[in-house]
Amino acid sequence: MRVSNVSLSYGGEPVLEGASLKVGSGQFVSLVGPSGSGKSSLLRVAMGLQKPFAGSVDLELPKSDIGILFQDDALLPWRTARQNVSLGLRFRGMAKQQALQKADEWLAKLGLEGFEDRYPRHLSGGQRKRVALAQVLALEPKLLLMDEPFASLDAIVRTKVIQDVVQLVEREKIAVLLVTHDLEEAISLSDVVYLLSQGPRARISNEYKISIPRPRDLVRARLHPSYAPLLEKLWNDLSDEVQGNGNGHVAKGPIYMAAE
Amino acid sequence: MRTLLHPRYALLRQLATLGIVIAFWEYAGTLGWLNPLYMPRPSAIGIALRDLFLDGRIWPHMQATFTAALGGLLLGVLAGIVLGIVAALVCLLSELIEPIMLVLNAIPRVILAPLFIIWFGIGLGSKIALSFVLVAVVIFFNVFGAVKNVDRRLVERIVTLGGGRWSLLRQVYLPSITASVLQNLKVAIGFAFTGAVVGEFVGASRGLGYLISFAQSTYNAALMIALVLLILVVVLVIFALANQAEKRLMQWR
Ligand SMILES: Nc1ncnc2c1ncn2[C@@H]1O[C@H](COP(=O)(O)OP(=O)(O)OP(=O)(O)O)[C@@H](O)[C@H]1O
Ligand SMILES: [Mg+2]
Repeated sequence: MRVSNVSLSYGGEPVLEGASLKVGSGQFVSLVGPSGSGKSSLLRVAMGLQKPFAGSVDLELPKSDIGILFQDDALLPWRTARQNVSLGLRFRGMAKQQALQKADEWLAKLGLEGFEDRYPRHLSGGQRKRVALAQVLALEPKLLLMDEPFASLDAIVRTKVIQDVVQLVEREKIAVLLVTHDLEEAISLSDVVYLLSQGPRARISNEYKISIPRPRDLVRARLHPSYAPLLEKLWNDLSDEVQGNGNGHVAKGPIYMAAE
Repeated sequence: MRTLLHPRYALLRQLATLGIVIAFWEYAGTLGWLNPLYMPRPSAIGIALRDLFLDGRIWPHMQATFTAALGGLLLGVLAGIVLGIVAALVCLLSELIEPIMLVLNAIPRVILAPLFIIWFGIGLGSKIALSFVLVAVVIFFNVFGAVKNVDRRLVERIVTLGGGRWSLLRQVYLPSITASVLQNLKVAIGFAFTGAVVGEFVGASRGLGYLISFAQSTYNAALMIALVLLILVVVLVIFALANQAEKRLMQWR
């Protein structure tokens, strides 16, 4: 997928100006940047949920091969886990029985065996997130677009879910574009990290290639010799952005740090 | 003594209190403290209630009220749902429907009863019409709100999973609407019976409302209170049924 020179404004307020990035097949790409810089907006443009004011998005693959996961998992509260997961399959015309069976398989893959008949209300936050993931992965996407999908989870659950996602993504060779606040997460998961500059008129101000070998292990990735220097550089660059002396445009008004 | 104060025995305590009040009432009546013309003794009310069933003359009246209330309820709920959906989705029609509903909502709708009797006669039609108007307005605003405030995230989710308009309706809108209608079903049932009884009260030859107005014209307070109790029981039974339906359909809550 390729996003070229995208500019976007909300009611005359410029947000993005000339932002470009690309995600190669099977590549894991993260997008980080100051809070409010337009990461979610950029992703929404990439998803086709928002029309850019200029620039273009070239998906280079059919829309049906793209899976999307937002921060607030919106499962249908009136459908069971199994029914929720089967939704996308049903939309693609799969027979009901087959779709439900496939849903069960994916729920099992994500460690939710025995929870198939629960309603979302009766699942924990982490379990709901897994159901949402199963819902997307059941469609066997080639590209996964995620906007801070794990932000609402506590640290331990989060690490576990992420570990499972990484394994699945590596095994099924799914390309990923992940928006995250967490620099450590970005580095330990990604092949490429893009830094979005402080808005307004945000654009990609830096690109970091990460060559920690795969398959990755979240904990071991952090012990790789290249990890610490990368983190430091990314951290400094982000701080510079936030303080308004980065590669991007100078920020006006109050400034907030995006990193946790 | 402490155990009797446990929340578990709330019903027991309520019933006991009711029993004491009734016993006291009865006793006060026997002592002549209460004028039986205004405040008949519970036993007199009980006898009036029994007589209604003994000679079987209550049934056609109950049937008349039920038909009117349930007819109005059914039609009112249907109309409320359809108009609510249409008004929420089609801007042009909402300009027409919403003001009418706002006006109908603002006035005490039972004042339409005499008008309906002129329009539809003293038969079933005017009762159903009154029930219908009472119910439809309530349901309309609920459905309208449910559609307007539908969770955008759910809509986006269905769209990104590849669902079309029909899927959106079936997976998101209809369940939201069902939930809001079920939540307000009891209010609607109350309104349906209000409409039927008030309609009968204003002009009818049958029905519980008609019996009440008959009891009034003959100064028969015992009969009147008996009828009020009867309506109360009927509505409570229907509430219980509505609760069952709500429980079954809203398991996901
Ligand atoms: N629908 C909208 N209408 C108007 N302005 C919006 C809208 N969505 C976002 N914005 C504005 O656009 C800018 C970028 O928002 P966006 O959500 O893309 O930021 P973000 O980088 O994802 O922030 P965060 O890290 O806090 O999630 C913000 O200033 C925000 O106020
Ligand atoms: Mg965001």
